[in-house]
Amino acid sequence: MAQHDVEITISKTGEVKVHIKGAKGKACLVYSKWLSGLVGKVKDQQLTSEHYEPEIKARIDLEQNLGIDE
Amino acid sequence: MGAVLVLTPVIIASWPAITAAVAGAASAMGLMVSQSVKESVKQSQSTTEQSVEVELSESEVLAESMATDQQIVLTKGTIQLCVKRDERGRCSVCAKGIGHSEAELKQTAEEFTQKLTQCFVYNRVMGELKNKDFQVVNEEVMEDESIRIHVRRWMD
Repeated sequence: MAQHDVEITISKTGEVKVHIKGAKGKACLVYSKWLSGLVGKVKDQQLTSEHYEPEIKARIDLEQNLGIDE
Repeated sequence: MGAVLVLTPVIIASWPAITAAVAGAASAMGLMVSQSVKESVKQSQSTTEQSVEVELSESEVLAESMATDQQIVLTKGTIQLCVKRDERGRCSVCAKGIGHSEAELKQTAEEFTQKLTQCFVYNRVMGELKNKDFQVVNEEVMEDESIRIHVRRWMD
């Protein structure tokens, strides 16, 4: 099983910074899409090295789990 | 690793969801909820009373969930804050009080709108994280008043 960690920081002004860890490949983009739909507009996004690693499991499962329509 | 993103909150919600955030923000700032209907504002207004209105620009209160003229009135000392839905459907905060400068009232209204936004985002995010069965590993309020939430889930 893969461990996905999400660190969410809500600043005193309401701006949200999210750090997604453990989600490889496009899986981290699924989280990004889900969270931006939940909170608001994406102001900045940086993909880290993990994004470019191969996915262990298809992201379809994750999308269905989070209720995201592709 | 994975991804880091920064999100600007957009508040589109029903009045009950806004009310919950108002209650949280009021509690955090030591404000008292005095009334929740407009009649409460029909108090004597001195000519020396200042009034300032601050709008949450990225907000929309869903009209069907709200009765006409519905608003929440909060007080802290001699300052009164009124949270309402304006004519354009946005959420706005009006601060007024006798013996306070316009700058002081504006600062209070802006501090409240920020806290309201933070509470709204917190309620929304935490509610959804629980719905999606995330495990909350840690949650803390930092020195700079930001809220840090660490959640985890396991995928097959």
